[in-house]
Amino acid sequence: MGFLELVNFYIIPGIVLGSIYALGAVGITLIFAILRYAHLAHGDLATLGAFVAFAVVTGIGVSPYAALPVAIVATALVAVGIDKVFYEHLRERPKIITVIASLGIALMVRAVVQVIWGVDSESYVRGISRPDVYFGLRIRDREIYTVLAMLALVGALYVFLSRSKWGKAMRAMSDNPNLALLSGIDNKTVIVLTWVIAGGLCAAAGVFLGINTELKSMMGWQMLLPMFAAAILGGVGRVEGAVLGGLIVGLAEELSVLILPSEYKAATAFVILLFMLLVRPTGILRGKVL
Amino acid sequence: MEFIGLVNYALFMGIFIAIYALLALGLNIQWGFAGLFNAGIAGFFAVGAYTSAIITSAAADGRIGGFELPFLVGWAGAMVAAGLIAWPIGKICLRFRSDYLAIATIGVAEIIRLVIKSEEALTNSARGITGLPRPFGDLPYVESQAAFLLLMIAILFVAYLLVERQFNSPWGRMMRAIRDNELAARAMGKDVEYRRLQAFIFGAALMGLGGALFAHFNRSITPEAIDPMVATFLVWIMLILGGAGNNRGAILGAAVVWIIWSVSEIATDQLPHEYAVKAKYIRLFLIGLLLQLVLRFRPEGLLPEPLRGDQGASRREPKSSARV
Amino acid sequence: MKSKILALTAGLLAATALASVPAKADVKIGLIGGVSGPIAAMAPAMISAAELAISQVNAQGGMMDGEQLVGVVGDSQCNPQGGTDAATKAVNIEGVVGMVGPHCSGAVLAASASVTVPAGIVMVTPSGTSPEITNIEDNDLVFRTVPSDDYQGRALARTLIEQGYGKVAVAYINNDYGTGLAQAFRAEFEAQGGEIAGFAAHEEGKASYRSNLADLASGGANTLVLFDYGDGTGLTMLRQALENGFFETFIGGDGMKSNAPINELGAENLSTFFASAPVGEASNSLETFNAAFTEAGGDPDAIFVTTAYDAAFMLALALEKAGGDKEGVSAALREISNGEGEPILPGEWAKAKELIAAGTAIDYKGAAGDHNFDENGDVPGTFAFFKVGNDGFEVVTQMK
Repeated sequence: MGFLELVNFYIIPGIVLGSIYALGAVGITLIFAILRYAHLAHGDLATLGAFVAFAVVTGIGVSPYAALPVAIVATALVAVGIDKVFYEHLRERPKIITVIASLGIALMVRAVVQVIWGVDSESYVRGISRPDVYFGLRIRDREIYTVLAMLALVGALYVFLSRSKWGKAMRAMSDNPNLALLSGIDNKTVIVLTWVIAGGLCAAAGVFLGINTELKSMMGWQMLLPMFAAAILGGVGRVEGAVLGGLIVGLAEELSVLILPSEYKAATAFVILLFMLLVRPTGILRGKVL
Repeated sequence: MEFIGLVNYALFMGIFIAIYALLALGLNIQWGFAGLFNAGIAGFFAVGAYTSAIITSAAADGRIGGFELPFLVGWAGAMVAAGLIAWPIGKICLRFRSDYLAIATIGVAEIIRLVIKSEEALTNSARGITGLPRPFGDLPYVESQAAFLLLMIAILFVAYLLVERQFNSPWGRMMRAIRDNELAARAMGKDVEYRRLQAFIFGAALMGLGGALFAHFNRSITPEAIDPMVATFLVWIMLILGGAGNNRGAILGAAVVWIIWSVSEIATDQLPHEYAVKAKYIRLFLIGLLLQLVLRFRPEGLLPEPLRGDQGASRREPKSSARV
Repeated sequence: MKSKILALTAGLLAATALASVPAKADVKIGLIGGVSGPIAAMAPAMISAAELAISQVNAQGGMMDGEQLVGVVGDSQCNPQGGTDAATKAVNIEGVVGMVGPHCSGAVLAASASVTVPAGIVMVTPSGTSPEITNIEDNDLVFRTVPSDDYQGRALARTLIEQGYGKVAVAYINNDYGTGLAQAFRAEFEAQGGEIAGFAAHEEGKASYRSNLADLASGGANTLVLFDYGDGTGLTMLRQALENGFFETFIGGDGMKSNAPINELGAENLSTFFASAPVGEASNSLETFNAAFTEAGGDPDAIFVTTAYDAAFMLALALEKAGGDKEGVSAALREISNGEGEPILPGEWAKAKELIAAGTAIDYKGAAGDHNFDENGDVPGTFAFFKVGNDGFEVVTQMK
């Protein structure tokens, strides 16, 4: 196998897939770090975001990229709403209660998608798009946009977290909630911000998955476990770690076909995760261990 | 709808509740008493189901097994196999706490599921193993179901008694001590890792038994049965709703959740016929919503964990007052 | 324990209160399918195809003395737990006298063993393709209108050899459907002197299969045989193969003969895409069904709709012949379609009803084959090889 083939058919798809995982994993890692529970409805929120964009695309006939902001805002609002209506009352309870609650939310969100949009496979744009060839590299526009958008969104988040007042407040909550509360950080605003960011990124993950493949009502649920693997791999609470974790999981899944029988592709993420937990439970970028 | 139909439906629900109650009891050992967040129930369920299937099924080409041993041997084998597989998993995973353990066990269960789906020589891959013996399978429908249910109840009862006895023994006290204050327990010289591993293996063995019973009830086991939704998350919902830390709660939770899960379909079938398919999605929505309501208004579960210390005291008190 | 019994009783009371009181004259059949779960995208079309058969029956005089035929939809979730649950409810609460479904083989195996066979209810699955279903000890109560994977895989292999495809790569979805087809195909294809230059299973629901495709293509074959579902992972793979220029020709089984690739990828891109699917032997049954289903708002190229329709229609015919009594359904099901008697095409209920009343033998010629059941309740199946034309799928050749 030549180098170009390796890059074209294993590395590039792995990076694109990894970028999609990364968008979801960033939200998971933030919720993990700030609210301290595993949010199992994350995948289905991504499905919702993808289908909101689909409604915009078919409704007013714009490109999915133009629909992306709408999906991000809508899903962020839904995420905040879900937190207000359901999770908020469970905050003082053991975290396992919220984990189970989020599983119920996953069922509910999926049911809403299935009732409104049905269960058929859909796509934003009909037809196929063959890649352009740059110096032997076969790349599609949408793949470049996916990676760039991921970098832009996560970069913006990174700047927000490290520079702005509220971003610092979020990090403080993540590092030491008691100290953060003592120093007068508004807990409620931080939580709302967390959900806005997580929900928005989640929608982006769904939309880009839809752009690169198809829209299905189970698409998000099927992405959930790799996204979790990515979040933990990168180190809980570390945004750049989630990106790194996403890329590693994406690449590993694609490259695994070279060594393992392809039916075990889905296991790759877990094997890496278990190995990581064994040798370095804090994740690559030394996140926190909850 | 006839009365006999309702009886049949009740018998069927009873059997499923008993099987799920075993899974919930196993989880209760792990989570309720040892604080181990095992989210890989499906994995142990599958190991148990397939082990028993391999031991009891007829010989088939291209697959190990076909020993045609009695189902009781299969069930014992299922418990042993599930316990054995839990040992290395526990060794590796139990040093992680809470959510990490959850993710690790989900991963292990997924790997087990993929192996079962793919390894033809071991499990007949995606097609599963069929033709398993079913206790009382030769009786007519109603009698067979009733006899099977009685057997299930007997097994569940024995399991409940054993687990309950274990919990009230010094072992159980020690487990709760480890769960509630690991440092203190460690300071008192308890071997925390070893005890946790014990709880993990006991729980897994019960889950394996549950899997074996399920396989024999259906006379078949296919990879579709080890979907994480129905074999892992549903059990978690049962335990949390019933009351973690309370064995009766685990059984009650299994009953309530399965009844809701099953009966809700009858409820949504009342929607007009044009919505027959959509009704199934609405049903899942309602199940999710119901879960939210229960968690919000009864988060400690229907039967909360008994405060054993106080309970013991109150039991002793009347005695002492009688003496005075 | 007490509270458990209490809860049980409460649940049952709720069930009693909620279950509709059926009109006395209704004849009910169960339509059990994987509405939620992995085949959620396929189930609705299959159920509406079965409902088309039911509405045709009711529009043309109904059952026996004008009773209505009613379909009770149940969700098997495509797993044994859901399958047995839905079947138990259909049999015991709704009182169905026959069942179309469940859709997934695992649910078929479980529901037949623990519910329908003991209860003496005939089950006709339109899509449970696993060879294991052949071996069920079923008292002649389990049938299927979809040919076992074995038949189709072998027929497709022979056709490909005939059409001059000597070297192919095979990708299949890692479930009972894909595995069964792929293994049967491989055995026959190699026996006929063909070369398999790549043979790999894949898990459903991943976002990218490009590495799988690259790996398969590295064997040097120009043709990819894809055993998957056209509205699921198969669509994703087909898209990624076309977009990246892996393989020149694509050949699918009946699961790929779906409108989804045409709708999503465009017929213009599918000039080298072929699919096999069971059809009636040289009859216009399929066209009759297509027209009727299109008129009813369905998509006749959706997966397994023809088998689902046939299952429901044949079950109705058998019930009519057995007088609505579950006892005789199994024998009647064999009688109405044993290759002898007056041919009945899809939708010809009034004619069939008359003939049955007159005691004349009838022979149902279904949209997905003639359905002359063998002793295991399987159908051998006749297949055709389809290509994508301007108006959907067109038959290229019959398959032997």
